Amino acid sequence: MGGASGFWVPGPEGKGLQAKISDESSTLHPLVPPPCIIQSCWSLHSAQRALLETPSSRRLSSQTKMTARRRSQRTKSIGKLAHVQASGHLEEQTPRTLLKNILLTAPESSIVMPESVVKPVPAPQVVQPPRRESSRGSLELQLPELEPPTTLAPGLLAPGKRKQRLRLSVFQQGMDQELPLSQEPHGNADASSLTSSLNLTFATPLQPQSVQRPGLARRPPTHRAVDVGAFLQDLRDTSLALAPPDTVLEDTQPFSQPLVGQSPSVHHSLPCPSHSGAEDAERAVSHRTRSSGPRLQNNSPGKPAQLLAGRAEEVDALAMSFSHSSSSIFGEVAVEPLQDGVGEEAEERMEESLSMSKVKEAARAQGSARAEEPEGHTQVTEAEGSQGAIETKEPEGSSGDVDTSGRTVSPELAASTPEFLQAKQLQCLEPAPPPSTAVLPLEPLSARLPPRARTPGPKPRQDPYKTRLSHYAKLFSFYAKMPMERKALEMVEKCLDKYFQHLCDDLEVFAAHAGRKTVRPEDLELLMRRQGLVTDQLSLHVLVERHLPLEYRQLLIPCAFSGNSVFPAQ
Amino acid sequence: MALSTTVSQRKHIKRKAPRGFLKRVFKRQKPHLRLETSGDLLMHLNCLLFVQRLAEESRTNACENKCGVIKREHVLAAAKVILKKSRG
Repeated sequence: MGGASGFWVPGPEGKGLQAKISDESSTLHPLVPPPCIIQSCWSLHSAQRALLETPSSRRLSSQTKMTARRRSQRTKSIGKLAHVQASGHLEEQTPRTLLKNILLTAPESSIVMPESVVKPVPAPQVVQPPRRESSRGSLELQLPELEPPTTLAPGLLAPGKRKQRLRLSVFQQGMDQELPLSQEPHGNADASSLTSSLNLTFATPLQPQSVQRPGLARRPPTHRAVDVGAFLQDLRDTSLALAPPDTVLEDTQPFSQPLVGQSPSVHHSLPCPSHSGAEDAERAVSHRTRSSGPRLQNNSPGKPAQLLAGRAEEVDALAMSFSHSSSSIFGEVAVEPLQDGVGEEAEERMEESLSMSKVKEAARAQGSARAEEPEGHTQVTEAEGSQGAIETKEPEGSSGDVDTSGRTVSPELAASTPEFLQAKQLQCLEPAPPPSTAVLPLEPLSARLPPRARTPGPKPRQDPYKTRLSHYAKLFSFYAKMPMERKALEMVEKCLDKYFQHLCDDLEVFAAHAGRKTVRPEDLELLMRRQGLVTDQLSLHVLVERHLPLEYRQLLIPCAFSGNSVFPAQ
Repeated sequence: MALSTTVSQRKHIKRKAPRGFLKRVFKRQKPHLRLETSGDLLMHLNCLLFVQRLAEESRTNACENKCGVIKREHVLAAAKVILKKSRG
């Protein structure tokens, strides 16, 4: 917005100049079909800039020359047209997404300002700087080729495009003529637009246009759609030219910021900050590849043959990590060997167990891989000598391995050792089933059985009991209506075990209190009443109806049948 | 462990009561007592209600801890409450 408004507002020359400009624009107009207001505004721009900076006679001559040139070019190069358009279509994706983003972001910041004026103005201005630089900078060779076909193409195909090209070429020629002078008013314009109230700056550029050209003033509604197209075209041109965006000037503008953020991603020639980021990314990638190499190597030969070597490597890794210890991850690394030590002790106890040894092999393989990683680190750091690389790499690779291995190793070891002890205690307490308990400590996976099987007693029916308990555990997972862990299910089975124990004890007490040796339904009803399941409002029969299927209900609730009979006899 | 640690909620359950299992459990616990007919059904009902209470309690525990998955601790905390409630 700064550029357009800026030229209009501070312009001390006043209405006399504007009148001249209008004359000039009218001379330009036969080339330019009416609908595009911004573009006309653009042409006014360039014209006015010329007015501001050059004597009027020179300006007039240059304008006429330019128009003549344009026509000649249009007639000449038609063949280039198709090629340029195709390339434009290829690169259509990125500018369109850019435009969408801008359209999404723009209205939020422009709520305060008048609607119609807001969008057209930033579009050309945002596009300006790269174009300027392209004409100025290293891409001078490309630009003369690119410009004529673009000017030609829209002229033949679409009116809006032709206008744009005209305007841009005019602007560029003006720029070529007076580079240093034209730069300054831009900066001033930005500053003025920022400082001055936005409404004023925006209101002014539209009004003179409408006054000067009634044909254009008629269509403010179409104005916006044309803007979008023009903006798209400008974006496409910028992406074609691959000009590095000169964003320094426009950082202060609210509208140019989304573009500024997105332009480096579009252009393949990266500016300085993003380039450094790319370098970092490349470094990280190289680290990953280097570290992944040894990791894979270590995982594959991580067999029992290398166990001792693995331990040695772990020790080395410990030393390395302590020497390096700058990050918190090494604390975890230091914790792990302790766990490994525990695991080794446990392994010494039960060397016959195959499964545990497998688990530990896996853990050791991971440990060796982990041990290799810091070494890779040191190599890399020695090679590059940058500690930032260490910081970037370590959280990526080693932390993930550390966490996973820690999780996998620690619970298993923690779970296995107490169960092992429990199994030993069981052996001491209950020598009755020696073969089972003798086998159990050797197999840590099946070591969970004894604590569960302990309460129901040493019976050969342990397995069906467990499976039946799991039936109620499934009921639990049905009632919970949530996903649950397997350990929680085991916990539920333990709870059910306890529950049955209590239930049977209670029933025995109730029956004994009634002086019976038979547990009757009244005892169960009394129990449920004491449990708070059966109340005065909620009878046992209601509960039965609610929770049991029909066949069981028929067995429990007395009901009158034909023949003057009640089935469950009271 | 290759198996997944979480068990998804069951959509379908058998409503059939494991009557033989209940009788066996009672007989194993109290070999000197008799269980009258349909006593096992009431035991099943009682166990059903207990499991339901336990599930709801552990579910509320999990929700209080903002866990999407019922964990062992939640069941343990719920069992302490519910086992106490279901004392005879």
